[in-house]
Formats: sequence, structure tokens, C-alpha cells
Amino acid sequence: MPMSSVIWYLYEFARKSWAESFAIAKTNAEIVETPERFRDFPQVFPEYCIACGACIAACPAPHAIKLIRSEDNTEEEGRTYPVINNRGCIRCGFCAEVCPTDPKTLTCGENHLIREDFTILPTEKMFVIDDYLCIRCKKCVKACQVEGAIVEEDNKIVIDQSKCIACGDCLDSCPVKGAIKGIYIDHVQEQKDIIKIIVNSLEESIEAKRDDISHLLDDEVYRFDFDIGDLVDRARSILSDDDIILDIFQKITDRLKLRIVTWDDEKCNRCQLCVNECPSGAITYNEEEDVVIRDAEKCLRCSICYQTCPFGVAGYYVARFLLDPLSLDTGVIHVTVKPSQLPIGAD
Amino acid sequence: MILPIGPIHPGLKEPVRLKLKTQGEKVINAEIDFGYVHRGIERVIEGKTWQKGIYLSERVCGICSYIHTQTFAETFEKIAGERVPLRAQYLRSLTNELDRIQSHFIANSTYFKAIEHETLFMYMLHLREPIMDAIELLTGNRVNMGWNVVGGVRMDAEEKHLNSIYQIITNLEKEYDKYVEMFEEGPLLALRSKDVGKMSKKDAIKGRAVGPIGRGSGLKHDVREEHHTYKDEFDWKVIWRKEGDNFARTMNRFDEITESIKIIKQIIENIPSGDVRKKITIPAGYADWRNEAPRGELAYMAETNGNLIQNISIRTPSIMNIDVCGKYMLQDVATVADAVATYASVDPCVACAERVIILNEKGEKTEFDGLHKVKYLQ
Repeated sequence: MPMSSVIWYLYEFARKSWAESFAIAKTNAEIVETPERFRDFPQVFPEYCIACGACIAACPAPHAIKLIRSEDNTEEEGRTYPVINNRGCIRCGFCAEVCPTDPKTLTCGENHLIREDFTILPTEKMFVIDDYLCIRCKKCVKACQVEGAIVEEDNKIVIDQSKCIACGDCLDSCPVKGAIKGIYIDHVQEQKDIIKIIVNSLEESIEAKRDDISHLLDDEVYRFDFDIGDLVDRARSILSDDDIILDIFQKITDRLKLRIVTWDDEKCNRCQLCVNECPSGAITYNEEEDVVIRDAEKCLRCSICYQTCPFGVAGYYVARFLLDPLSLDTGVIHVTVKPSQLPIGAD
Repeated sequence: MILPIGPIHPGLKEPVRLKLKTQGEKVINAEIDFGYVHRGIERVIEGKTWQKGIYLSERVCGICSYIHTQTFAETFEKIAGERVPLRAQYLRSLTNELDRIQSHFIANSTYFKAIEHETLFMYMLHLREPIMDAIELLTGNRVNMGWNVVGGVRMDAEEKHLNSIYQIITNLEKEYDKYVEMFEEGPLLALRSKDVGKMSKKDAIKGRAVGPIGRGSGLKHDVREEHHTYKDEFDWKVIWRKEGDNFARTMNRFDEITESIKIIKQIIENIPSGDVRKKITIPAGYADWRNEAPRGELAYMAETNGNLIQNISIRTPSIMNIDVCGKYMLQDVATVADAVATYASVDPCVACAERVIILNEKGEKTEFDGLHKVKYLQ
């Protein structure tokens, strides 16, 4: 390095003004002043949070708010509170607007018009996982907005109802139709009544077509359409909410698999093999009249009589359903009946 | 030869491709290619509740973001068949005009940058800064304001805020004429601007030019004339010019700023007292609404089932304006530098213009059902 530059450096750093400005240098925050109504990232006060999830339901940005639960200790239970991800937050302040607690858990900006009548709360549904259909892909665990609301226990995926905020994100993420169900919490008894009516009338309609079904070969299927207009009228007389009724119809047609047992007395040779096999005692032998009687009320549709009978007295069919289009006014249930593929004849 | 400019080029702020067919220095015709920044905001909005949708619609444009929220809100108010309280209408118009002023300043400054007049470019940004402060004072943020909701606005403006905005506007008005005069009477600026990039009224109608670009060519059309607040409450007139060159478009924007200042003064003087927001329940339905964005006519078409947005379609003004620029303005331009200046004079906002319409093979508009069925045309 040439000597002149060394001198220049010495001269430059020995200046009095340089030393002065170094000593009284201000940080960025002191120079820049925040405008009066500036809307920064939301501030969180965890002590007021009631874990209702309104902020998450309202947030327009993905992954901006997450509800977090701190660990329990000896003095108190763990507290649930929202955490803002500054990378995702778009600083709209909508979370502060919908927060229902008093005082607010979330505040954002000044002088916001935050009033009770503008708040939006999550839907009135309860979400449950059907363990029979669940494939344990854990997509719902990733999609869940609340930490620890969906957990794996004893190799089962379970929703913790005390933490769930009913946002419905798990339902959207689930790849299996029907594995996660959103159930309306209100009017449970009415919903049960409607389900009974629908299932019974579907079964009756198939029983009425017994003559067509009994001629089916193994690889044939029998299809017919079932008009739901009458059922909807009966359901509406029980419950006035159309959303819930449509929800029930959809769930039944997605999930229901009706098993039909037909009984042909003419083929029966009174061997009485089925009488002993029947688990519910629905089949009895009347000695006086020398006839085998099947009681449809007691029957479980377990198909054991069909598998046992060497003469083909019992017929066993499976029916599936599809509601298309998905509407109460124009919808029609398409019914598909096909013979069972189970092996026949006693071993 | 064909001279390509972009999609990545230091002269362009946003990715777009200008293909200039040149003969020596002369530009014979041009072609403009889109498709580099399509974000699919409509698709993101679909299936969300309308309360959320308004914040996403704000992100369609980075400069005139305000008018998108107002149009979105007014579309849904039309579905409900209601109008917001009068004070909220006044506050919306106030923000709209402030936003128009800052957008026109930035458009003109970009044009001055394109004709290499850096002094005016700096002056324009200097004038714009107090307007941005006024917007921040009123709404809380500079660009993405989050100020509109369906049913009104989210904050009330106090007396002191309106007073300081009035102060800012009068300060702007005092020194504003000096800068306009600088452009209007500067001989070198006239040499670069007058009779460059000419578009006749016939071409403007044929190419559906809107906003200051259409009005600079003699197309007297401003959607604010049909808007209920502007029609009933304020005294103003539509600015238009006959020349149709770069000078007319830039001057048209300058004159519109003067008109906006006039409207803002009327708003602050006559603002009524009352509520700024009311609760609106949205039924299922469809509506469309048009508003005058700084760049021209903005249209929203939305369909809802009362809770979720089922379908939304946005038409921004830049689509038509950039299209007429390529078709009619960039014909027989004397130099390549003038071609770039002409492109800058139409105030192109490429991110706005990247919208999609799905057509079938016959060219008819169809519904979108899954990406797997879409074929991209060459």
C-alpha cells in the first residue's frame, strides 16, 4: 500500500467530526417516525384468547395465523393463543376486526371500526374421523390450523374436539370420500329420524322389485332411479333447514350399502342347516307345518344363510346409491343392485 | 429486422415482450406478447368467502389497488341491492381521487423517464410523495390500503385528517401549474412528444381504448359519469383531447389531476356526517359493476351463493390499452426510442393485464372445468 493512502486513512479517521457523528449516531427507529394511523402487523395479547378460531376463519392470507397451545405446567393448564407469521401476513387487520373477546386478543392499527355486529364466527359443525375409512395419510394433520387438534393415538387419527375450531380445512384436504365427516351439532334427534325414513324407504323400494332382482346372473347389475321428491317433503316437515337435509342425503348416498336377502320357499328341502347357523335366531323351523320361516325383522343381513344353503333358497344382493345432481329439487337417487360374489354352499 | 425488447429488459418495469419490426431506425409495426406474470388471482378468490375476497382483489394491481376494492364492494352491494351510507360514499370517492392523482403522477413520470427527461421524472415523484402521505394518513397504508369493505369503509376520518389532506392538496395546487407548464411549453419535450404514436378516434373505437388513452384520442368516455356518487354529488367534467399522440395522453393525465383536485376540495367541504358502515347480508346472485380506474374502465363480474364466491371475472383497462398500443400506435414510428416512449405513454400495467379467458376450439367462451382439458394455442 502506498504511503499516501495510509496517510489519507489516518487523516480521515482522526477527524473530529467523524468521531462525533459516530458517538451520537441514531438508530433507524429513532429517525423514522410512525404515522398516526399506520397499520402494522397485528399485536397479540395471549391472556385474553378464548381459542374460538375466528381470526383463522377470517384471515384471507394462507398460513398467516396459527393457533398454538403452550405446554401444561403444575400451576395452570396450557394456554391457546394465535401467533402471526410475518411472512404470510398481509396486514389487512381483518383478524382484529372479527376477534370477539373483550378486550381484544388481536389489535391492528388505530381507530378501526371494530364492532360486535360485524364479527364472523365459524360454522356450527362438528368434525369426526371415520376410523374404518381412514387411510392414515395424515394430510389432515398438516392442513389443520390448530396445533394439536388432530393427533395420532394408538395408530388412529383422532380429532380433539376441545381444540377443534370447526374450520373444515381437514375435510378439504382428505383424499378419501367420507373419511372425515362434518356433522351439524344442532337437531341431532331430527337428523336421526330423517336418516331412518330415508333408509327404510330405500329398502322398501328395492324389496318391491324382488322379482326383477331374483333373475340376475352373477355378472349382471340391476339399475333403477328413485325419485326423492316425496322423501324431501317428509324430511322438511321434521326439519326446516334445507342445508342439513341435503347434507344428510349426500352422506347417506355416499356411504350407505344396503344388503338385501331374498327368500324362495319353493326351493326349500327342510334340511334345517340354516336354522342352526343363523346368529340372531331369525330363521326357525315349524315342525307342525313342516316349514322353515325367516323373520325379516330379526334378520341381520349377515349372509350366513346364503352361504350355508345348498339349494339356493336365500338370495343375497348388495345395493349402492348415488344422488345426482346434488340438489333437493331436481335430484334423483340412482340405485344399483348387484348379486353378491360370496361363495355358496356349505363346506 | 425484428428487434425484440424484453421479457427481461432494463427499460421495462414488468415482464412483457415488445417485438418491433424495424427498417433501419424506423419501426414499421410491433407485436406485444403477454403471459409472463399470470398469477390466477380469480382462481384463488373462487371458493373463499366474500369477506376475504376483497383483500385478495386488492392485490390484482400494484399501483391502482384501491379501485379494485371499491369495485368489488360495489359489485356485492349490487347483489344485495343496497347502497352504503353517504359519508362512506364520500370517503370512497376521496380515496379514489387521491389514488388517481398518485397513479397519474407515476404514469407521467414513467413517460418522462422514457423520453430521457430525468428532471421532470424526479419532479413528478416529488409531487407524488405528499399524496402518498395523505393516503397513508387516511387509510393506514400506502398501497394496499385494506380500507374498503362490503357495506362501507373500515375507519372514519376525523376533522384533523381531512384538514391536513386539504392542506396537502392546496400545497400541490400552488406549485402544480409550474410543472405542467414545463412540459406544455418545453420545445424539446414537444419535439419528442407531439405527433409521435398517433392514434385516430376511429382506431381507438375499433381497439376499444379506454381511460386517458381513449380520451386522448377524442373518445369522450368516463364511467364516473354513470356512477351514482359522482353523478349526484359533485360538479366536474370529463377531460378529453383531440390530438391522439403522446403529448395528448400525457396532458390528458395532467388535466385530470386538476379535475381530481377540484373533486377532492368539494368532498372535504361538503362531507356529510353519519355512519360510515352498515351491515349488509348478501343473498345468492350475480352482478356486474364498472368503475373508472386511473387507467380506464374496470369491470367486475361476480357470482355468489350468499356465503362463498362461486365465480369471479375481472377485466382491467390495461388489456385494451396495451392492445391498441401494439396495433395502432406503434405503426411507422420514426425511431426505436420513440417506440419505447409510446409504449410508456399508454401507462402499461402488465400484472393487471394478465387475465385469462377460456375459449373452446370454435372461439366461444366456455366454463373452466379442470386444467387437464385446456389446450394452449400457439
